[in-house]
Amino acid sequence: MTRGAFYRFAAPSIIVMILLMVIPLLMAIWLGMNYMTYTNISAPQFIALRNYIEVLQDARFWQSFRFTALYAAIVVPAQLIVGFTIALFLDQVSRFTRGIYLSIFLLPFIIVPVVGTLMFKQLFEPSGLITWLYQTILDTRFRYNEITVKALIIIHGVWYVTPFALVTYFAGLQTLSQDLLEAASMDGATRWQKIRHIVLPHVRSLTIFILLISIMDAYRIFDSVFILSQMNPIYKANTIMTYTFQTAVTVQRLGKANAMAILTVIGIMIVLIPNLIQSYKEQMEER
Amino acid sequence: MEKIKSPLGRVLIHAVLILFAVYSFIPFFWTTLQSFKTLKDANSRTPIFFFTPTWENYQQLWLRSVPENGALIAYFLLAAVVILICLLLFANYIPVRSSLIYAFVALGFAAILWGIPRLVDTAKFYDYFINTIIVTVGTVIVSISIGCLAGYSLARYAGYAGVVILIAALGFRALPRLAFILPYYWIGTATNLLDTHILVILTLVAVNQPFTIWMLRSFFMDIPRELEESAMVDGCNRLTAFYRIIIPIMWPGIISTALFTLLLAYNEFLLVRLLTQTNWTLPVAISRFTGGEDPRHLTLAAAASISATIPIVLVILFFQKNLVKGLAAGAVKG
Repeated sequence: MTRGAFYRFAAPSIIVMILLMVIPLLMAIWLGMNYMTYTNISAPQFIALRNYIEVLQDARFWQSFRFTALYAAIVVPAQLIVGFTIALFLDQVSRFTRGIYLSIFLLPFIIVPVVGTLMFKQLFEPSGLITWLYQTILDTRFRYNEITVKALIIIHGVWYVTPFALVTYFAGLQTLSQDLLEAASMDGATRWQKIRHIVLPHVRSLTIFILLISIMDAYRIFDSVFILSQMNPIYKANTIMTYTFQTAVTVQRLGKANAMAILTVIGIMIVLIPNLIQSYKEQMEER
Repeated sequence: MEKIKSPLGRVLIHAVLILFAVYSFIPFFWTTLQSFKTLKDANSRTPIFFFTPTWENYQQLWLRSVPENGALIAYFLLAAVVILICLLLFANYIPVRSSLIYAFVALGFAAILWGIPRLVDTAKFYDYFINTIIVTVGTVIVSISIGCLAGYSLARYAGYAGVVILIAALGFRALPRLAFILPYYWIGTATNLLDTHILVILTLVAVNQPFTIWMLRSFFMDIPRELEESAMVDGCNRLTAFYRIIIPIMWPGIISTALFTLLLAYNEFLLVRLLTQTNWTLPVAISRFTGGEDPRHLTLAAAASISATIPIVLVILFFQKNLVKGLAAGAVKG
């Protein structure tokens, strides 16, 4: 394809991305350098890097950073372990049954996240099913407090994202080399040895893929926190995204919120850049 | 892996899978039950499993007042929907061009959606439902048409610029949406463009574009170049070769990508929450049912959750193969 044809075909998409992604991002950097609330929205006041410094010294920002990190540190490994285990089990059943299981397993992931969270929350309402089980078994009242709300957000996170790892691993298991497995059986390898020495190396690149995607997703978790904590400060369950939202909408410090978003972008970029360089090399070789 | 054959092993495998299925499904099960209960039953501290189901919650959610000839209207609408779905399913057996039939079915559904509020007194929730359809369909159409052109050219062009665009798109895909949405929000507030469908659709198209072009490109890569090259030798230019030869064999890939775009637009919460004030889509409307003073929020939230889920479950049942294929393609190709 000639260069001219390439640009003609790609133009609409490139224009949309420049107008609505590149320019807004540059604008966010600039907005972050202004003191701006809703009263002076058309005449923002330039204060250079003071918003950025304020964010870095804001104890509540670091508190929400810590909760986001805790969320990722629990949800990501749990998702990998549970997803891989269930994928191994699913691989054992016949083609027809596996279709039925798979469509049930996928439900939490496919559904509208806000709706999924609300359904999950229904179980923990005062009249909910799990609330009742909890109270019957432990004989104490189930209360919404800092610990239980944080726990609910994390448990919901695992429930919501595991299907993604499950499907990815399951697809990976389907491309496993049968010859290798047979050869291993000939040599008398046990099932556990086969998983350890054949399956796990085979899914290594998939694990890195899931890891990367789910760390990014954990970093920007918003919907479920919004619903489960109802943005109530007494639960201290803010994540970086909900805290940024709160700063923009509730506290009405638009400039500071933009500075926060840009700092988050920088944080993500640090994790992302090695991966981007890797993909860049791959694409350059491939072309 | 080879299968475990011992009967005990088989039982254990299914036991684990069924347990996991229960764990995945229990919120749906419980919410469905709650949505059919009266307020008193739904608020009972010991769970009630056996009760006379009531449609009252759904009625309150969708209708402002109950029409006298409600049953008649319901049967009429149901018949119209069934006829349209049958047309869709058997389009290949009818001796008319299938594109005409699809257009007719789309028009038919639009007419039904337009007609309902004129036949019955619908509540606000119906307006949110219509908003969701407009936003979702608009996003899918714009996103897929510009994404196909870009995805195709990125699959065929070997130059340096193509790689740069792909890597930049990958980077943008990973960034938190809030970094883009806050400037949109500022523009919207400053220019009074907030609360319009156009703004929501355009921004949704933009934030989903990186994903769309990567996925479509991976599907276009699977199509051999010889196909359009022979067409171009026969006198087509590249654009006609593209839509006469390439697009018809790309349908499965386009449907997979469209399905993911549809889910992304239908599910979006944060962007719509910030960029609209009254023209909400369903996720934002439903989030209003959480908490609050109104004691009905429990049952209404349940009915709203189920109502928003049914269309998506239908779409997924219809296109399940494309969905699993798309998930697998995204995973294996990265």
